[in-house]
Amino acid sequence: MHIPDGYLSPSTCASLYAAAAPFWYVALRRVRAALRTRAVPLLSVFAAFSFLIMMFNLPLPGGTTGHAVGMAIAAIVLGPSMAILAVSIALLIQALFFGDGGITAFGANCFNMAIVGSLTAFCVYRLLARKAPITSVRRLLAAGFAGYAAINLAALCAAIEFGIQPILFHDASGAPLYAPYPLGISIPAMMLGHLTFAGLAEFVVSAGVVGYLQRASPELLESSAPHNRPVQSLWPGLALLAALTPFGILAAGAAWGEWSIEEFPTQVPAGLARWSSLWAAPFAGYAPVFVHNPSLAYLLSAVLGIALIVLCVFLLKRLFAPTSRRRGFVEQTIHRLLRAIQDAFFAEDTARQPGFLQRLDPRVKLAGLGALLVSAIAVRKLSLLTALFLFCVLLAMASNISMRILATRVWLPVLAFTGAIALPALVLAPHGERSAAFLVLRAETAASFAFLVLLSTLWSRLLYALHFFRIPTLVVGVLAMTYRYIFLFLETARTMLEARQTRLVGPLAPAQQRRLAVSNVGVLLQKTLQLGGEVHIAMVARGFRGDLRLLDDPRLTGSGWLQVAALLTLSSLTIWVGR
Amino acid sequence: MTSPFQVSGVSYFYNGLQALQDISLQIQPGERVALLGANGSGKSTLLRLLAGLSFPRQGSVSFFGEPLTEPRLREEEFFFAFRRRVGMVFQNPDVQLFNPSVFDEVAFGPLQLRWPPDRIRARVAELLEHLDIAALKDRPPYRLSGGEKKRVAIASVLALDPEILILDEPLAALDPLSQNKISELLVSWSDRSKTVIMATHDLDALEEIADRCVVLESGRIAGIGKPLEILHDVALLERARLLRPHRHAHRMPISASHPHVHAKDVEQS
Repeated sequence: MHIPDGYLSPSTCASLYAAAAPFWYVALRRVRAALRTRAVPLLSVFAAFSFLIMMFNLPLPGGTTGHAVGMAIAAIVLGPSMAILAVSIALLIQALFFGDGGITAFGANCFNMAIVGSLTAFCVYRLLARKAPITSVRRLLAAGFAGYAAINLAALCAAIEFGIQPILFHDASGAPLYAPYPLGISIPAMMLGHLTFAGLAEFVVSAGVVGYLQRASPELLESSAPHNRPVQSLWPGLALLAALTPFGILAAGAAWGEWSIEEFPTQVPAGLARWSSLWAAPFAGYAPVFVHNPSLAYLLSAVLGIALIVLCVFLLKRLFAPTSRRRGFVEQTIHRLLRAIQDAFFAEDTARQPGFLQRLDPRVKLAGLGALLVSAIAVRKLSLLTALFLFCVLLAMASNISMRILATRVWLPVLAFTGAIALPALVLAPHGERSAAFLVLRAETAASFAFLVLLSTLWSRLLYALHFFRIPTLVVGVLAMTYRYIFLFLETARTMLEARQTRLVGPLAPAQQRRLAVSNVGVLLQKTLQLGGEVHIAMVARGFRGDLRLLDDPRLTGSGWLQVAALLTLSSLTIWVGR
Repeated sequence: MTSPFQVSGVSYFYNGLQALQDISLQIQPGERVALLGANGSGKSTLLRLLAGLSFPRQGSVSFFGEPLTEPRLREEEFFFAFRRRVGMVFQNPDVQLFNPSVFDEVAFGPLQLRWPPDRIRARVAELLEHLDIAALKDRPPYRLSGGEKKRVAIASVLALDPEILILDEPLAALDPLSQNKISELLVSWSDRSKTVIMATHDLDALEEIADRCVVLESGRIAGIGKPLEILHDVALLERARLLRPHRHAHRMPISASHPHVHAKDVEQS
């Protein structure tokens, strides 16, 4: 669900940033007006909580595991405006610090999960729960369905974003430059997993946490009860915007005239040609007649494509995580929590070492490497993409970042994930090898650039660099606190689970494990909100009055500006040559 | 000079439960006061009222003769003046340390009070040096030990150079060495004629860190006196659940560093 860099074209990314912007703006304004002072710590700890939810792996019927995104809980407890911000900030931290979801695709991920997800969850919850009592079963089910609907609508948005890529963007030879599968494949492939496993995980967690809150602290559910909140006057406007967005994406990607009826059919036969020859080879002369019927053939190739993608993702996931199935949910989750802490500590230690990138001003790095990342997304020539990738390697070598680290932390995981998605393209997409190479190389290069920034910069400095780029102080402040409290929660969750583990005798049945996971999430949520209140008091005690202030870094030096200019020139040159 | 805090007839309720009951107390300028009491005796609540973080429904608190109320603290001028003069160190450093690095933590207060950046940098550098934590400047709070966290929390409050320092359990959950460092720090700081009000249930360091003790028991003042007087009032300490008759072995000669009460003596008294 977290779209990495390299799957969406720059214009799609830009359109989705633009589509998300008004929602962020309105949400920020509402939050500022409504809660003013308390909003900062509350948003921060809740974003940290949203982040944490995604680390709780819970066992699902059928033997697999999944994790929830938690937009429904955020929307129900905080209301839509705060939920949009909290989930967005959790996503930003995942993208910036944990390499989960792309930087250029951040707008898309926010649009899908934070905005569409939160608003859907809130609407469905309100519609289904109506005026039912706070502790009713109806509310519990409403929360479950809200979560289910939210994740599925978000997945559908992502699938549409993927699906329009091959229609709009291909190189001179016709090879798709980004996500290679058309809508007919991308939608069923995405929805298959989300309508079942991911949707179920979201249902279980949303309903479970609301059930827990009904027993433990029903007052937290009051805020989303209908009588407390006036009907949001802005909703019709927001709905209109949401409806218009797909057109925006299309309009930005291609001229209207170019995107004609012929586009669709020309896409199909290219991939189909391979299929029909594949079919024809073993049974020469017996090739099924329906292969020659374009619409049926389209359907066939779509079904086979979906099956192939699902199979590849499944197999590679097993290959790269061989132990995860044998361990129970508790061990698995503890393992993930520990990994997150260790990775962050490792990044901090690397940032303290001497090296080329470490010496650069964080603002220079953010602007320069960010621009190079964009050029890695924008270029349409494999040779230039390779050159950018090699440049990354060079930068890493100059900064004492070992190839082994890059390989284990970036290249292999990205290869496992994107490789699985790109593999079926070899047979399905027109010019399959080229389009698979584009996708994999792009994802690898973009992730490497992002990782280099992370590994060479102390994150507190990174935050101030964001402030320099005119990201609102409120957002930077909330981001800083979120990241800080993620670690407190990671530790809390770990000790909680370990304490539980020491008291466990024998393995738990999946249903018990689910209940355990959900009640842990519930306890964490309660702690989250309590902490939010306490931190606010501690801030007030030190003179905080609602408008956060940050210390600005000294002005960028002349050589700093020169470095920025050099990196920006390099990136625009690459984009221009690689058109 | 009027007294920094005058508490008169204050009662306070938490969700219907009475946390403080008819408390009256006067704090003298330059005094070091220890609030003694078991868990849940109302120490933290009283400290929060003094720090202007919550407000009593009955009774009043005044600050240098001026009433300390919620509307008053909403006025920007009074708010900043009060926050500058009164610092509070919270019991849980994870609540207090909400900034991304030690430097930012110490700079937070001065920043909110709109000091110019150069002055903030100078002040932070000076304090970190003084508290011997300059090496931790870029560390995030989750990579600090318990003792370091406490020192950073104190530094972050001292940044504004307050006249009155309120501390909630400053020595709790620290190893003996860190306890020692913190109490030394407090003693040397208050030597400069500052007022210190702290909650504690630690009787060992009492004589060293306090001029006067206020014993709280279930939200009421059970006794006020000099540390030695309080330490020798065994009946009071037991009533306030700070001391319990117990049995233990003496392998070493009894040290006279703190009053030593034996179960047998208590029974006789």
